[in-house]
Amino acid sequence: MKNLMNSIPAGIARTALAMVLAAACGPMVSAQTPYTKAPANFDDLVKAAKAEGELTVIACPRDWLNYGEIFQKFSAKYGIKINELNPEGSSGEEMEAVKANKGSKGRQAPDVVDVSLAFGPQMQNEKLLAPYKVKTWGGIPASIKEKDGYWVGGYYGNLTFEVNMDVVKNPPKDWNDLLKPEFKGKFALSGDPRIGGQGFLSVASAGIANGGDFKNLMPALNFFKKLHEAGNLVPLIAVPGTVASGETPITVRWDYLALSNRDKSAGNPPIGVFIPASGQIAGVYVQGISAYAPHPNAARLYEEYLFSDEGQLIWLSGYGHPARFDELSKANKIPAALLAKLPVAPKGVKTFFPTLEEQEFIKQAVIKDWDKVVNVNIVKK
Amino acid sequence: MKRHRGWAWLWMAFGVCYFFIPLVATFMFSLRGKRGVLSFAAYHRVFADPQFLETFTFSLEMAVFTVIVGLALIIPTVIWVNLRAPWIKPLIEGLSLLPFVIPPIVLVFGLIRLYGQPPIQLISSPALLVAGYVVLAFPYIYRAVDAGLRAMDLRGLTEAAQSLGANWATIMFKVVLPNMRVSILSATFLTFAIVIGELTMAVMLAWPAFGPYMAFIGRDLAYEPAALAILSFLLTWGLIGLLQLASRGIGSQGSSVGGGAH
Amino acid sequence: MSLPASGQGGARRARPSSSGRRRAWLGFVPFALFSLAFMILPASSIFLGTFRNADGQFTLMNLVHLTRPDILGAYKVTIAISAVTAAAGGLFGFLMAYAVTMGGLPRTLRSGLLTYSGVASNFAGVPLAFAFIATMGRVGMVTVILKTVFGINIYDHGFNLYGFWGLSITYLYFQLPLMVLIITPALDGVKKEWREAAESLGATKMHYWFRVALPILAPPLLSSVILLFGNAFGAYATAYALTGGFIPLVPILIGAQITGDVLHDPYLGYAMAFGMVVVMTTCIIAYSLLQKRASRWLK
Repeated sequence: MKNLMNSIPAGIARTALAMVLAAACGPMVSAQTPYTKAPANFDDLVKAAKAEGELTVIACPRDWLNYGEIFQKFSAKYGIKINELNPEGSSGEEMEAVKANKGSKGRQAPDVVDVSLAFGPQMQNEKLLAPYKVKTWGGIPASIKEKDGYWVGGYYGNLTFEVNMDVVKNPPKDWNDLLKPEFKGKFALSGDPRIGGQGFLSVASAGIANGGDFKNLMPALNFFKKLHEAGNLVPLIAVPGTVASGETPITVRWDYLALSNRDKSAGNPPIGVFIPASGQIAGVYVQGISAYAPHPNAARLYEEYLFSDEGQLIWLSGYGHPARFDELSKANKIPAALLAKLPVAPKGVKTFFPTLEEQEFIKQAVIKDWDKVVNVNIVKK
Repeated sequence: MKRHRGWAWLWMAFGVCYFFIPLVATFMFSLRGKRGVLSFAAYHRVFADPQFLETFTFSLEMAVFTVIVGLALIIPTVIWVNLRAPWIKPLIEGLSLLPFVIPPIVLVFGLIRLYGQPPIQLISSPALLVAGYVVLAFPYIYRAVDAGLRAMDLRGLTEAAQSLGANWATIMFKVVLPNMRVSILSATFLTFAIVIGELTMAVMLAWPAFGPYMAFIGRDLAYEPAALAILSFLLTWGLIGLLQLASRGIGSQGSSVGGGAH
Repeated sequence: MSLPASGQGGARRARPSSSGRRRAWLGFVPFALFSLAFMILPASSIFLGTFRNADGQFTLMNLVHLTRPDILGAYKVTIAISAVTAAAGGLFGFLMAYAVTMGGLPRTLRSGLLTYSGVASNFAGVPLAFAFIATMGRVGMVTVILKTVFGINIYDHGFNLYGFWGLSITYLYFQLPLMVLIITPALDGVKKEWREAAESLGATKMHYWFRVALPILAPPLLSSVILLFGNAFGAYATAYALTGGFIPLVPILIGAQITGDVLHDPYLGYAMAFGMVVVMTTCIIAYSLLQKRASRWLK
């Protein structure tokens, strides 16, 4: 060690000189131009996709709507390797990842995104998406797709309470129950409302229970302020692990996720899934292909798979309502057993489908006023 | 003197508590994998998870490559410098400090910006990850090798061998390397300890390595992360234990100092 | 190690000619290329990026943007955590090392502590975060014991494992052992004879410590604390695994900038990385200068 220290100054001087010289000839960084044209027919697409060999997805946990099964079957069918980035990422993070990797052809650049409805138009406006219309385009309701194919709704679900029944013996029946003292330190949101759809739609859902609506978020924000001041709101993002361990025993989550968590934990601990009595909010998630995708043809083939009968039914088996649900059920393509597993709202509970404009409004309202009114940082654990 | 010893015991007791309580707590937590009973259910589930084996194997492979590349690069260089170009020594020693000056997060940032696009696009190749790991491990490999070479009289041995008519290959493989067994072992175990649990570079370069696997498990499950922590600790203990055994030969006490993926 | 000049023994022993010197550099080339490609060039590209803007012109604006409140805040928090864990790790590490070197404890405790420190200083990152979550998380064993046996709910009193103090306690787990490992050789160098000499001259224990031992130990103590500071400053994995990447630390921000343009300015990442390198370089230089002073008395 003594020798080391004595020779530092000379060593540092030489390496510094080398660095300066190297810096003078550093390579220039430039963004790649996006995106080739789609192949003319399906077989050419399959060939081109196979040639690319890889697909990078982001923020798709394997147990979110059975994505695990989709990845496995897609890979097996076409021999395309799937790179899974950041499974716990939010829609906002997906958008940032596309932006950050604009010039890169590496595995960190997402090829496809699966984001909440409000992010579709936003990414389109920022020129982050490339248009593509899948073969089954006609069977997708017009209200959830962009007319030129920049983004298209894949599935929707409803927000429900997910409760660790070991820790919480009397589950909340509605949002205002959460203010009860027995729920102190027990409720957490499943996403940061400022950057993700699950988060800000949860806030809107609380608003409906308190006299607000999709055009006025103040009752919702005030509700969360009260929740936070009472100490009932835990400033963590509730993930399956924290629900199971009891750190955040009550959260609100998409029904397909809550049900899949319930199945996975298999009674240890028992998980209950409950629809808020004042009404459930349905949220659509949209698919998009990155304008800077390193593997554009693999991305297109993947979208074809997702919207094929096979892909849509896998999503259904993950408890989600796939986009082509109506078309498939009219054609009697849905197995009865699968239909039976779908969560149905009890009589009298309304389902609200916020439109694109309404979702955008909700998102902006939360971003603008959350910090001011509620003033709590939701931390990922 | 008695009061002296009293304080000493006190600080030791404090230290022991601080070190062992988290381990005991983690172990107890990991035994709660099954409702109501203490069991190793969480451990069973960890081992049964195919991703556990996949990612652990991947990291193991990366560790092996890192050791091979690192030793192949550093041993000949250090021998050469010691024998033929001693004036380069300060440069190497300065370079061996660079990985401390450039923390892994900064290094991977630079690697991604540099090699993420044409003209040189290495970003999708595991070679970049191995290169990054070699950089991380380099100071420790270098110190182990250098200590080993200083402990043996390199110059004397090589000149004696040359005067007996040996060529360079014989000298390397029959004289120098066998005397460096201890250094090589130390360097190997420490590199393994660094690479296997490494998170920063693996997650930024998007590789299915063991570090990111553990991080993602932590989101999804409650008791398995604690089981993984215990397993990881046992593994680190095993590797460092082997390292201590090996390095008793060259008395390099500081060589096992903090290289882990922190 | 210098070359002994000698007339006998061939040209190898004599001062090499300039062409011999040039040939001698050849053997260094593979390693030099590797260092260039994977250490020097990435570092210099950061350097370049810091002083460049989107149009490719030289600019200091990126550095100015470092003073943005959120980034300045991140630097403050990172410096604070590093300072706190360096000081605490330094203090308690020193005390433990003292206990086993000069505290008259059995020899086995010393080797046990040193071995364990070797392991613990490498046990960092994700598993360490899990261990502390299982210990002091909201349903961690220690939290629960404190609640059920002692009736104290630390979370009610404002403790939060995923905040500043929780992270500090976790960092300490690899800082403390690091200090023990670094300072023990220095403590070994403090000779018993000095204390006996001081006492024979009439010095009290306090006198000895404050006038003799501590001044001699000051350089290695300080340098070790500085090293601990750098160690914590650069840490990423532990903070990421514990806080999911949210707590505003500089390494975490750089990581977030790699995966997404969360700062809304791609060049700011370069500036932050540059800032980190400046801090680490300062630490290493301070450490090495102090170590040089230390070696005089404590050989």
